[in-house]
Amino acid sequence: MNNILTKLPFVSNVRFRDAGTLVGLLLIALVFSILSPSFLTMPNIGNILQQSSINACIALGMTLVIISGGIDLSVGPVAALSATLGAAMMVAGVPVPIAMLGAIAVGVSCGFVNGALIAWGGLQPFIVTLGGLSLYRALALIYTGGTPIFGIPSEFRSIANGAVMGVPTPVIIVAILALIAWVVLTKTPLGEYLMAVGGNPEAARVAGVPVSLTKISAYMISGALASIASLILIGRLGAAEPTLGNLWELDAIAASAIGGASLMGGRGSIVGTLLGCVILGALRNGLTLLNVQAFYQLLATGIIIIVAMLIDRATSGK
Amino acid sequence: MTHHRLKLSDVDKSYGSIQVLHGVSLALAAGEVHGLLGENGAGKSTLLNVMCGVVRSDAGTVEIDGMQVTINSPADAAQAGIAMIHQELQQVPELTVAQNIFLGASRRKGGLFVDKKAQEAEARDLLSTLDPTIDVTAQVRDLRVAQRQIVEIAKALRANARVIAMDEPTSSLTPAEFERLVEVIEKLTARGVSIIYVSHKMDEVYRLCSSATILRDGRFVTRVDIPSTPLPQVIEFMVGRELAHAHHNSFATDEVMMQVSGLTRGTAVRGVDLTLHKGEVLGIAGLVGSGRTELLRLIAGVDVADAGEVSIEGQPVAGNSPRTRIRAGLGLVPEERKRDGIVSHRPITANIGLPAMRQFSRAGVIRKHKLHRRSEELMREVNLRPLDVTRPIGSFSGGNQQKAIIGRWLAAGTQIYLFDEPTRGIDVGAKAEIYDLIETLAHSGCGVLVVSSEMAEVIRLSDRVLVMREGQIAADLSAEDINEANIARHAIPGA
Repeated sequence: MNNILTKLPFVSNVRFRDAGTLVGLLLIALVFSILSPSFLTMPNIGNILQQSSINACIALGMTLVIISGGIDLSVGPVAALSATLGAAMMVAGVPVPIAMLGAIAVGVSCGFVNGALIAWGGLQPFIVTLGGLSLYRALALIYTGGTPIFGIPSEFRSIANGAVMGVPTPVIIVAILALIAWVVLTKTPLGEYLMAVGGNPEAARVAGVPVSLTKISAYMISGALASIASLILIGRLGAAEPTLGNLWELDAIAASAIGGASLMGGRGSIVGTLLGCVILGALRNGLTLLNVQAFYQLLATGIIIIVAMLIDRATSGK
Repeated sequence: MTHHRLKLSDVDKSYGSIQVLHGVSLALAAGEVHGLLGENGAGKSTLLNVMCGVVRSDAGTVEIDGMQVTINSPADAAQAGIAMIHQELQQVPELTVAQNIFLGASRRKGGLFVDKKAQEAEARDLLSTLDPTIDVTAQVRDLRVAQRQIVEIAKALRANARVIAMDEPTSSLTPAEFERLVEVIEKLTARGVSIIYVSHKMDEVYRLCSSATILRDGRFVTRVDIPSTPLPQVIEFMVGRELAHAHHNSFATDEVMMQVSGLTRGTAVRGVDLTLHKGEVLGIAGLVGSGRTELLRLIAGVDVADAGEVSIEGQPVAGNSPRTRIRAGLGLVPEERKRDGIVSHRPITANIGLPAMRQFSRAGVIRKHKLHRRSEELMREVNLRPLDVTRPIGSFSGGNQQKAIIGRWLAAGTQIYLFDEPTRGIDVGAKAEIYDLIETLAHSGCGVLVVSSEMAEVIRLSDRVLVMREGQIAADLSAEDINEANIARHAIPGA
């Protein structure tokens, strides 16, 4: 059956695993659209996409890191640190575009530190980014004294709250970033290097792949995307809290895994990760529409992750 | 009437729509060493897996001493007295010898606690006949491969195995260790244990086996008595055709291509000098542990040298990473393909393109069509089977993987090929193809270094042979000086 499916032009272009994730999403959508008439309406779909956009932004970077054989637990605190520094710059009167670049530079730097410790220092990604998780959060808290930064200029806020032809800007921004990430992963040498380094680092090295630089690039991209996600968030909220981004890493890892990324490295897909984000977003949105208590939403999220992994396991064995 | 110790009859096995075993039968007597021969993909591994309960056969019967048994799991196989020594030993390196021998079957004290003393005593007892020098309290990771193999055999005996299948047991043994293994096998057969011996090395098969079953394309070809059946006939049964006679062609020139001077790393490689000419195939012989692999890895930049220099066409090579060495025109075809060679779930194209991504890209984007076309072209040249470059490299046989690795360097425009055990784990048919490829490389003006433990291979391929001993070049042999006796004389310390 596999053979017949891959012969079809559509399926051969979209990877088989991604098609599976899409089926999962359609099933969830089907169930909710039966239970709640307002689920499958344009405004609500817009809501789902908007609610998923921040997680998607983080998850794009997470996917690249996971493919390289690593993990980035520090994305939430990196987001908080770059948000607070970026907001402070804006409040101090630095032009918005420069402040945004500054915030992104902070994220890239944090990613570089993570990557350098992992690739050159030879430390384990889990431990390094666990350290980063505390470290960057502490820096954000120390810098702000624990209080949020208010007074973010409205010209910046209007970017995050705007819409183009009815599509919220955050969704458009993340869609563009996803397209770039997809091109990087599937069409550039860096993408091949990420796959090779995650799949077999030693063979990659013998084949002349710049292993350390490849790993460091993945963490730098992850840091940059964490900053962009935080900019979207503070634009929407109008304030930069040093505690923002709590547990973002877990949602991003979950979305990547649902989308087919292997925590062993070497496997993963941008399309899959996006679908994974929308699955998580649709689930929360649908349960909220049905007035299901938050505790049960958490329960459902956990079940979805584990069911996705079980299906993955059962189908990849053959 | 006497029963066979083990008798498999009419075993069928399919994976999906592909049938890999077609009514295969195999029988062996008690205390017999029986060869299981065939090219890669002939179905040997599947048959072993069926026997050991790793995969379930679709049809067929298994009899042990005339009693029919059902083997649906590894536990069933162990119960029936069948054990397997895998090519890649399945041990826990951090545990001790005794703990590994009793893995999954620990001796208990009061039903709850592991009785270490009893296990160690019993392990010592088992090893006393096999190899008393092995310390049962040592961690397995500190043992040499040959010793670890003996520990695995002891584990099989602990489980009262009556049939022990050995899959390529000598792939990483030195000649001396092979002799030791021969002694162990003789001891086992004297006890009535039967051995199924799977190996590509025909000299070993002729040394050890009294009979052999030959498979080809998942079918039983014949059962032969050994040594009464001559080798060419056995090979013909295996490959279904006669192999072209091995003949060495030389394309060596006087033009110096690469010069290595004073290359040193720890005690493994000590001050090695060598010169490689254009079109020359330079063999490097020596015992395992004499520093041959280490030397290649230093030249390839995979390991960093303590001292010494590599120059290509008179220019010292700057930098000591594989990347810089590849740019200078070097390419390593490593011994451990799975570990150092392939990214197994990626397609052939990606594996070929890795060192030459820049060449296949424009404006930072890979031109997939160009990569695909070039890969297909190269793989047609090297006769990849099946010729599908989009398939993951891990789904190909060892010989085909090796062809893809060679294709990788062809694509990168490599001038100097460093082959480490080029035909390890590769079947007889593909082996001849690899030899032809190496000859073609030399013909096209490339320089080739070949490290090999197989004397016949070194002699077949090389224009000149360097013999390594204890990290140094012990001899530089050329022309009629290249023969087994000469190589062995220089390779063995104190000989």
